[in-house]
Amino acid sequence: MSEDTPQRPDERQVPKVGVDSWVATHAQRVEGTRLQAELARIPRPAFYAGFAVFAALLPAFTSSGYIVRVGFDTLLYMLLALGLNIVVGYAGLLDLGYVAFYGFGAYAYAMLASPKFGLHWDTLAVIPVVVIASAILGFLVALPSRRLLGDYLAIVTLFFGQLFVVVMQNGESVSFLGLTKHYDLTGGPNGIVDIDNWNLGGLHVGSVQGYYYCALITFMLALTAMYLVDTSRTGRAWKSLREDPLAAELMGMPVNRLKLIAFACGAAIAGLTGTLFAALNTTVFAINFDVSTSLIIVYAVLLLGGAGSIGGVILGAIVVNVSLEVLRDPNHSTWLFYILIVGVLVAKIRPWRVLAGILVATVAIGYALRGICAAAWPRGMQGEPVVGGALGSWVNGWVIHPATPQTIANVCFVLLVVAVLGLTLLHGWQRLVALPPTLYLAAFVWNNRLAVEPSVTRLILVGVILIVLMNARPQGLLGTARVEIA
Amino acid sequence: MRVKRVSALALVAGLAVIAAGCGSSNNSSSSTSSSGGGSCGTISIGMMAPITGPAGSIGSDQLHWAQFFVSQWNADSSNSPQLKIVQGDTQLDPAKASTVAQQFASNKSIVGVIGPAGSDEVEAVAPILKKAGLAFASGSATRVSLTDGKLGGYFFRDVPNDGVQGPTDADYMMSTLGVAKGDTVMIVDDQESYSTGLADIVGKELKAKGVTVDRESVSQKATDFSSLTAKAGNAKVVFLPFQVASEAQLFAQQLSAQGSKAIVFGSDGDFDSSKFNSNGAYVSFFAPDVTTVKADADTVAAFKKQFPGGTSPFGAPNYVLAQAYATAISNICKNGDTPTRDNVRTELAKVSLDSTILGNPLSFTSNGDVSGAKFHIFKIENGKYVTVA
Amino acid sequence: MNWHLFVTELVTGITHGCVYALIALGYSMVYGILKLLNFAHGDVYMVGSYIGYGWITVFGGSFAMHANVVLLLVLMFTSAMLGGGLLGVVIERFAYRRLRNAPRIAPLITALGVAFFLENAAQLIVGAQQQQYNPYGWLTTPIAVKGWFLPSHVLVSYAHAIIIVGTIVLMVALTWFVQRTQTGKAMRATSYDREAAAMMGIDVDRVIVVTFFIGSALAGAAGVFNGIEYSQVFPLMGFQAGLFAFTAAVVGGIGNLPGSVAGGLLIGLAESFATGYVSSTFQQAVVFVILIAVMLARPSGLFGRAAVQKV
Repeated sequence: MSEDTPQRPDERQVPKVGVDSWVATHAQRVEGTRLQAELARIPRPAFYAGFAVFAALLPAFTSSGYIVRVGFDTLLYMLLALGLNIVVGYAGLLDLGYVAFYGFGAYAYAMLASPKFGLHWDTLAVIPVVVIASAILGFLVALPSRRLLGDYLAIVTLFFGQLFVVVMQNGESVSFLGLTKHYDLTGGPNGIVDIDNWNLGGLHVGSVQGYYYCALITFMLALTAMYLVDTSRTGRAWKSLREDPLAAELMGMPVNRLKLIAFACGAAIAGLTGTLFAALNTTVFAINFDVSTSLIIVYAVLLLGGAGSIGGVILGAIVVNVSLEVLRDPNHSTWLFYILIVGVLVAKIRPWRVLAGILVATVAIGYALRGICAAAWPRGMQGEPVVGGALGSWVNGWVIHPATPQTIANVCFVLLVVAVLGLTLLHGWQRLVALPPTLYLAAFVWNNRLAVEPSVTRLILVGVILIVLMNARPQGLLGTARVEIA
Repeated sequence: MRVKRVSALALVAGLAVIAAGCGSSNNSSSSTSSSGGGSCGTISIGMMAPITGPAGSIGSDQLHWAQFFVSQWNADSSNSPQLKIVQGDTQLDPAKASTVAQQFASNKSIVGVIGPAGSDEVEAVAPILKKAGLAFASGSATRVSLTDGKLGGYFFRDVPNDGVQGPTDADYMMSTLGVAKGDTVMIVDDQESYSTGLADIVGKELKAKGVTVDRESVSQKATDFSSLTAKAGNAKVVFLPFQVASEAQLFAQQLSAQGSKAIVFGSDGDFDSSKFNSNGAYVSFFAPDVTTVKADADTVAAFKKQFPGGTSPFGAPNYVLAQAYATAISNICKNGDTPTRDNVRTELAKVSLDSTILGNPLSFTSNGDVSGAKFHIFKIENGKYVTVA
Repeated sequence: MNWHLFVTELVTGITHGCVYALIALGYSMVYGILKLLNFAHGDVYMVGSYIGYGWITVFGGSFAMHANVVLLLVLMFTSAMLGGGLLGVVIERFAYRRLRNAPRIAPLITALGVAFFLENAAQLIVGAQQQQYNPYGWLTTPIAVKGWFLPSHVLVSYAHAIIIVGTIVLMVALTWFVQRTQTGKAMRATSYDREAAAMMGIDVDRVIVVTFFIGSALAGAAGVFNGIEYSQVFPLMGFQAGLFAFTAAVVGGIGNLPGSVAGGLLIGLAESFATGYVSSTFQQAVVFVILIAVMLARPSGLFGRAAVQKV
């Protein structure tokens, strides 16, 4: 074909047939910044390996057993979320009784390796038994899934989860059908104590650091398995099941079998995690596995990170669990509180001059109110500041501290919530004018009420973080945006 | 889109900063505020309690009483050294209690721990705290086996255990309330270990004397007892070792609404005149009512002002524990030593207070129990608690 | 046959079931339109209960009340329903509106976040202690103790009667609203097919707001009912009640209003009879076994219709 084919005079104006220029530039729009394009080119296993290296080095950087313990808890949540990811993220089934498998694994390990029944099986024998038993239990629980769809299955799994807790809590004097004598199966509210530590073929795992490494190795093994499953036939079959069960069935996928296998795999991972839990804590109680304590956190971890995404599991667990632990300390939570506020302001308000002006106005309101208080209402200045640290002391300088702040701070808290919600409704200059008083109110409430009760405040803050993050990114931090076809 | 990504990334970055800051500040804060390592500056005591979660009413009350003592102690300039409470929320979950225990163990400035509240939690945290050399004193863990010697010198409690309360209650029922051989007594526990332990002991005592015991149990969150009150039938006494006083009140009210003549008997968890005041009922408690002891009136009034919202019977013992720690620590400082975990433990075991707001003196046995434990029985007349035994 | 036991359990079960039914109605309505599991619904119930308690405090506190009981009840109900409804609307506007087209599971976590927030804000403001309505001791008319005595000395107290009658009245009002008014028709249309309803000119946003308002108002009323019968108010009461109400809504056939009521009554009666006739220890376990059996027997819920899946 010669190069000098004559061009039509109106070549540019006429769109080429078969080519949509807007569609053609789609890739550029989606990929975003250069950084994200570069990051997308790195193969994912590199990230996982990087995470593994960083996590392995963590105990070397700190002598604090607490940080290693928090790392262990985070790894447990990652494992649980990984298992739940199979059921919820891949297969699209809502399993609200998931922690019952976790509890089953823990109790099974406890019964087989503690003075309770006098059995002290070797760890390398107990773990496979527990994993297989959990998988069988998951299989049995999933049997109703053939008849029940969606939320109905969710309800049945919820029942199973609560049934498990009730049975474990009251299992200290069980008689079969009232015919036999009473047996103490589960220890009831007293649980099972003095559980054996892991003993891997002579290597006795006794310290927090030891368990941390065990958990890390277990997690990386599970992660590798998940990664391989992700692109395998079964993984793709699960994903098609999630997207459209009817279409999957018509395409010849064994839908029922897939559901059963998903439940069983998720339960197996949960059971394995349960053994780690029981071994480190050396005690198990039914309340460890209640819906309100653990199931909620596992779901938050999974969905915050992005259901269906393995990297999301890691990120979600870190965000949720580390936030919960970091926020226990009032100094840290003060920092986080102010960083969040400033971060949101930075993201929403341009140009910088306006932002600086707002911050200055807030501090000015603070000093003005202090002046008014000193003159008119001296009791308003007699309270003790609670927050310490560098940032806290600076803020204490311009916030008033009433002597008995409880009632007024409670009222201001409600006002603050109303004000923040109202701010989202305002636009333009009205929003900018309303910001400084709201910021001052936030600092006032924080100093006088929220920082005084850090244990309650951390849950409030986590709740707010969940609401804001899920509204900002409904698909989770690392999830892929999906369009729901009703 | 980008703006939201920036916020999300800012959040994650902020968390990373905090986490990094924590990692270093945990070591540095232990050196800056560990005046316990240098001099008698400000000494930190850890407090583990179920501040939020299912037992939030108990834990937050315990925390407030301990904080109340510390604020009073610090306000009095003749007291030295200054004290600080570091709180840890366990949510009554023994696994979370282990994490909090680890936090306290790693925080070098903490020299002693008040808590944990539940007997299960004590079992869970004992290995960690013992390894860290920390003394831990509970104001509400009453399981008998906790002071069988394994934790001697480390675990203390200033409330008597179930082994004292159970027999006292059973004896009173048989001697004074007219329960005889062949009568029926209904015992209802709330499925928590405090309750089942006590219910078991009382049930055993009564059965040994030939009384028919109808053992029932309800969830701690239950509010509807009409099924059980209908079953109470012709029981002479209904024993309710509940942890939540208002539950016992509900039960008593529903029982009387049914027209039953059974006498309601509550244990020390029900001891709260603002909540459980059903006429004709009985309650056992290890001390006189804090809110009625005249000498305590000012203290209670000051507490209510600082922490409005009501209190519970498990709260005041934590005030006394904080007082015991303060005494021990100030003794150490008076001798010119710096408080460390080891000498706080030994000093705490030797603490002897002549009078406390509980109305009894305080000292510990070698196993950690409170010496001279005795239970008082109260009868409720016209909404007031009257000591009868 | 022990009539006393049987009739007591029956009355208790129906009363308790009515409370569950009211909360379940709110769940069902929201689910029918948005396919959203609103786990914060139980906390609206808790806030309604606290609003009622607030009125009792204004009139002297639970143990020293000095007000006309009828006036008090009217005030409690209207303010709890209004407050609950308003709270529901605010939650919808700020937490759920942006997630309308998101995958179904995303609002689950937002709802959890709202639940965390409400429970702990309540603990911060009011304290974690259980507070009591104490309807047994109201000086003028202790409504939980006075009532009608049936044979075998079974008490049907004023409190029981108020709850049962109140629930019937609210349900009749709701049915009338849904069946006979324009907005009700719009609600039904939106629950069948949201996009088609929007295309037919129905203001879907307004319909959703009305749905949340009504559902949350019912939850607020249920909170006050719970208070006058069972007396206790504490920040975490919403979680358990929310779970039971969710169960009731699904067991009855989710999205189906009569089904929610049936589900609520079923759970209430199962609880009572399990306690009375089987064992109080394993009451919960028995209830779950019954419910699992019901679900397996009727996989779409009691009144649900097996939906034909359109491809």
